[in-house]
Amino acid sequence: MKETARHTYSVCPVCLERIPATQVERDGAVYLEKSCPSHGDFSALLWRGLVDIDSWRGDEPKIAPGENESCPHACGLCPDHRQETCCTVLEVTRRCNLRCTFCFADGGEGEDIPFEAIRARLNALAKPGKTLVQLSGGEPTVRDDLPEIVRAAFEAGCAHVQLNTNGIRLAEDPAYAARLAEAGLSFAFLQFDGTDDRVHRALRGRGLAEIKSRAIDNCADKDIGVTLVPTLVPGVNTHQIGDIIRFAVSRSPAVRGVHFQPVSYFGRIPSQPKDEDRFTLDELLTAIVEQTDGLVRMDTLLPARFTHPLCGFHADYVVTRKQGLYPLHRRGCSCGSPVTADQNRSFITSKWKRPDQDEGVAETGCCESDLKTLDGFLKFARTFSFTLTSMPFQDAWNLDLERLRKCSLHVFDDGRFVPFCSYYLTAQG
Amino acid sequence: MEEGKKLLCARCNVEMVPMPTGFSYLGHVFRTDVPRCPSCGQVFISEELAAGRMAEVETTLEDK
Repeated sequence: MKETARHTYSVCPVCLERIPATQVERDGAVYLEKSCPSHGDFSALLWRGLVDIDSWRGDEPKIAPGENESCPHACGLCPDHRQETCCTVLEVTRRCNLRCTFCFADGGEGEDIPFEAIRARLNALAKPGKTLVQLSGGEPTVRDDLPEIVRAAFEAGCAHVQLNTNGIRLAEDPAYAARLAEAGLSFAFLQFDGTDDRVHRALRGRGLAEIKSRAIDNCADKDIGVTLVPTLVPGVNTHQIGDIIRFAVSRSPAVRGVHFQPVSYFGRIPSQPKDEDRFTLDELLTAIVEQTDGLVRMDTLLPARFTHPLCGFHADYVVTRKQGLYPLHRRGCSCGSPVTADQNRSFITSKWKRPDQDEGVAETGCCESDLKTLDGFLKFARTFSFTLTSMPFQDAWNLDLERLRKCSLHVFDDGRFVPFCSYYLTAQG
Repeated sequence: MEEGKKLLCARCNVEMVPMPTGFSYLGHVFRTDVPRCPSCGQVFISEELAAGRMAEVETTLEDK
């Protein structure tokens, strides 16, 4: 056994007290090990060793003694936090029309927050011309007044409004999708765990494949860009990663990409996670390449730069007429300069939104030679933009405060911006 | 450049003619026609091209 000598801080999964932690390498895999004076020793798998972790992490600085000492208990945000808000999550309801095995928000029943209270929160969180607000829940579309909330977000000054949804209402109520589009909804993140009902039944309790397809159609009709969001659970749907990507590509330009979320254990979780319950970031990278038969190459999957490199990857392509993915970036070809929150936000929204273009462009499609001329590139690259991204959330077992202090996805609650993984952190039992 | 006006190469004093030219940026090469001197090969990049289409390509290609 050798130690990678990477010391950090975490929390005890039982009492959530801040405790020192160490990343330890065993048989090529990396674990986060920690000991709570009251509750004993804990170990959580971080990395399986399929990709070199040091190369992926680059020169990201370690958390040093004396740094971020109040993390995560002062989250909201404390002066030591090392990243600005890129995206603000606002829960607009606790209600949901599904009862999923896995749910970070542990949604259910209850009274909705009154519209005027939502408006007040939007006014408080918006930085005019900048804010990207993610309307979340619960399931936001259970609210009949969601289009008014979208409108209120823009009136508050938000630049972009994103909807997180399971798609049921978008599929069943095209007039509702139309009202969201008229209100200016920028794009939707559609929960999409697999391409067949077996997966949906396992994770969501009912068959949803046809519903997801219809939700995409209804969004396509109204030019609402859709990004598919699979929650990846080992043994349930991790074998469908390639199928999900191919499905998404086949629905371009309506579908703008796939955003993978390896399962994390907070909110409503079935039991304490074991190592085999984890689907690590390097496992995801490898599975994407292995399951796509040459469609996606490893050197096009880039470590997150704006947040901590272990908090995700991104990859940008243009979908060609033959359902190929023409990569825009490769590792080593990046300009490498630091990225601001404004740049990052503008980058992702330009990819996930459908551009204003004449329908002819979307109908014809493009081939690689079109993309090698200046005019062809400009004509097609935005319309057929396609991204692969991921954000593996952290839970009480694998929480690394080195990562948390660079979080840019913040939940707005009670006047505070709280890093996502800190907000939803759930103690064992 | 005004429409219909001839563009002369400052070095050779001969008329520049539109010719396919490659631009490379972050590992990509794009072709487009720009005025080029048939004698010395010098090209003329208009402000419209630099601040317009080329800038847009750069923005699209810049990594987040």
